[in-house]
Amino acid sequence: MKARAFLAAASIALAAIHASAQVSYQRIVKAESEPSNWLTYSGNYQSHRFSPLTEINRQNVGQLKPAWVYQVRRTGIVETSPIVADGVMYLTEPPSTVTALDVRTGRPLWTYTPAIPTDVIVIGSPPVNRGVAILDDTIFFGTVHGHLIALDAKSGAVRWDTIVDDNKLGHYLTNAPLALADRIIVGVSGAEAGIRGFLDAYDPKTGKRVWRTYTVPGPGEPGFETWGGDSWKNGGGSSWLTGSYDPALNLVYWGTGNPGPDWNGDVRPGDNLYTCSLLALSPVDGKIKWHFQFTPHDVHDWDSNEIPILFDATVNGRARRLVAMANRNAFYYVLDRETGEFLTATPYAKQTWADGIDAKGRPRLRAGTDPSLEGTLVFPNIQGASNWPSPSYSPLTRLFYQPAREMGTYFYKGESKYKAGEPFVAGGGRAVNGDDAWGAVRAIEATTGKLKWEFKLLSPPWTGLLSTAGGLVFGGTEEGNFFALDAETGKPLWDLQLGGAVKANPISFGVDGKQYIAIAAGYAIFVFGL
Amino acid sequence: MTLLLLVSILFATAAQNAPGAANDIREGKKLFDGMCARCHGVDGTGDEGPSLNRPTLTRAPDDESLRTVIRDGIPDRGMPRVRRLTDTELEQVVAYVRSLGRRSTGTASGDAQRGREIYTRLGCASCHIVSGQGSSFGPDLTEIGLQRGGAYLRQSVVGPAEALPRGLSLVPGRGFVEFLPVRVVTGDGREVRGVRINEDPFTIQLRDTTNQFHSYRKSDLKQLDKEFGKSLMPSFRGRITDAELNDLVAYLSGLRGAL
Repeated sequence: MKARAFLAAASIALAAIHASAQVSYQRIVKAESEPSNWLTYSGNYQSHRFSPLTEINRQNVGQLKPAWVYQVRRTGIVETSPIVADGVMYLTEPPSTVTALDVRTGRPLWTYTPAIPTDVIVIGSPPVNRGVAILDDTIFFGTVHGHLIALDAKSGAVRWDTIVDDNKLGHYLTNAPLALADRIIVGVSGAEAGIRGFLDAYDPKTGKRVWRTYTVPGPGEPGFETWGGDSWKNGGGSSWLTGSYDPALNLVYWGTGNPGPDWNGDVRPGDNLYTCSLLALSPVDGKIKWHFQFTPHDVHDWDSNEIPILFDATVNGRARRLVAMANRNAFYYVLDRETGEFLTATPYAKQTWADGIDAKGRPRLRAGTDPSLEGTLVFPNIQGASNWPSPSYSPLTRLFYQPAREMGTYFYKGESKYKAGEPFVAGGGRAVNGDDAWGAVRAIEATTGKLKWEFKLLSPPWTGLLSTAGGLVFGGTEEGNFFALDAETGKPLWDLQLGGAVKANPISFGVDGKQYIAIAAGYAIFVFGL
Repeated sequence: MTLLLLVSILFATAAQNAPGAANDIREGKKLFDGMCARCHGVDGTGDEGPSLNRPTLTRAPDDESLRTVIRDGIPDRGMPRVRRLTDTELEQVVAYVRSLGRRSTGTASGDAQRGREIYTRLGCASCHIVSGQGSSFGPDLTEIGLQRGGAYLRQSVVGPAEALPRGLSLVPGRGFVEFLPVRVVTGDGREVRGVRINEDPFTIQLRDTTNQFHSYRKSDLKQLDKEFGKSLMPSFRGRITDAELNDLVAYLSGLRGAL
């Protein structure tokens, strides 16, 4: 019954869309009202990665079958999370190619590859791309050589090509931009090359930069005193994963990465604001309304770029607008998203570095957990209890679904001197892997952080999650499984071996009244339907 | 500020002393002890990683290839890239590893020819292949002399559970226990014991003790026990003399692939 209602709603929405075929800001704001499309990186501005579609559900998911497969034409890790709009799927192939596919068949409509210099500098991650943004009739994406490019959605023709910042200094882009009204917000990678991090906003029509907000304050700015000497100049704080947006408060929520250099904080005494933080900014001028730092003076490379999920709930009898993040440091945080007030933090994975979090949200550090010459074993590991793979939030179960990584690292301390365009890291780690590491899909009560259920995985996952109104959670494994769990209980209901590690985020869409699930695995995009 | 000044002074001091080879070796030893000794043994005498106190390293015959191995690891063979090193640190580790090769190598005292006879008498070939001959239940030993130090080989004969294979199997993946003994009870109540070949959260593949392949969905099994810390290889402790053990280790240490 419910399923039919949703599908009917979806068809009506689809009919309305074909009239305009423009993905306006208003359509993205109301993304839930047209669940047959997937209009922004995490499905909606609140980053729920939740599909209201119900055709595929607990009862029938066992019959899920491949509908089509698209093999990428490039080599490299495929971490893309596709956008689906009005019959077309837009995805990225490594390192910086955009391809548009017919959503019914997987047949390519156009593809665009920018000229990437052979001496491109990518320090800190593999040369990947996680997806595009769409606004009106334009596709926006970032490149490993530090450009933000706008393409005509129908043909792939370049509308504009803007240099975000100099790749010779290690700036590069892997994140899907966030498209708002009159603003394309995009973050940057490069802390491991000693960049000074920032978040940028561009005019969608012209590609001209509207504002830049540095994540590391300069002289005279608040927070500058949290950096010793000149260390702020190469302070890191990249903004390498897509943030969230609250249209009512008109605030953008964006996470920031580690301070530089990693693993040895001696040269940057202080808290190192605003690294390892969540920033709430005005999209109008980029002004920071509030900030919350999860890991002050980080020495373990625990970026806080993870997806911030926005939801509303009653806390201690009071209705509140909340933002939650399962941080790379293994704590699940809930903050008030109007004020940044810290509410709760609960470990969601094994951690050995803090004796809890104090009433202000600051970790109580455990002694002897800093990196050392001989190696210090600390949980979570360098890549963290979470990382770029997306969590999911279901407004139906009110659960926060997190792919959790259970792994430790021997952290080594080294030395580093800044040299432009070269690695600015001072140490590293040896992971405790194999049978000593594992993972889980964890369902966390969004408001309290309490664990409701878990589904164990053999290895720490690099797959994001999708929850659906069909009562399902989709996820994947390093071993190549793609699976569906019961969203209420975590019980496995369906799985298929895809033949390559799943290092991507699932999405859902509808076409011709049928629901589909899409996921990248190995070197291909798989689309499943009933 | 003060701290920064101190760091600069230390840098300057280090730079002045840098040319001294002895200093490089000393600094290299510190790095080696922290990052490498766990697998390659203190002083590079070998452990679960190969010994490095040899004049010629198979995968690193010259300094350039040694730099590459230290910098990138050999992930397929179980050697991780530990961490990014500065150029200076890299040279220090190279200097130290090279210094190990100039030391007395303390070669195995046994007689390899006699060791070969013991290998045959003990029936090792019923589970191991050497140069294409034998059965494949256990690891291929064709290059074991390159892959493992003498002490490790000795341990693997008298206490195999304390010296499990590593880096010899490409699946299930880096860092997983290889030749892990598993015991399953199937839905219809049959018990199967063998070694894990591969696994994912939903399925497991194994070879039983007669070297037959099996594949199971975990949800179909009544029981699945992974026997960590155990080996299906029998211990030869008390079954051979010390002299025979020396001979056997000498034979195994000499297995270095096709000549």
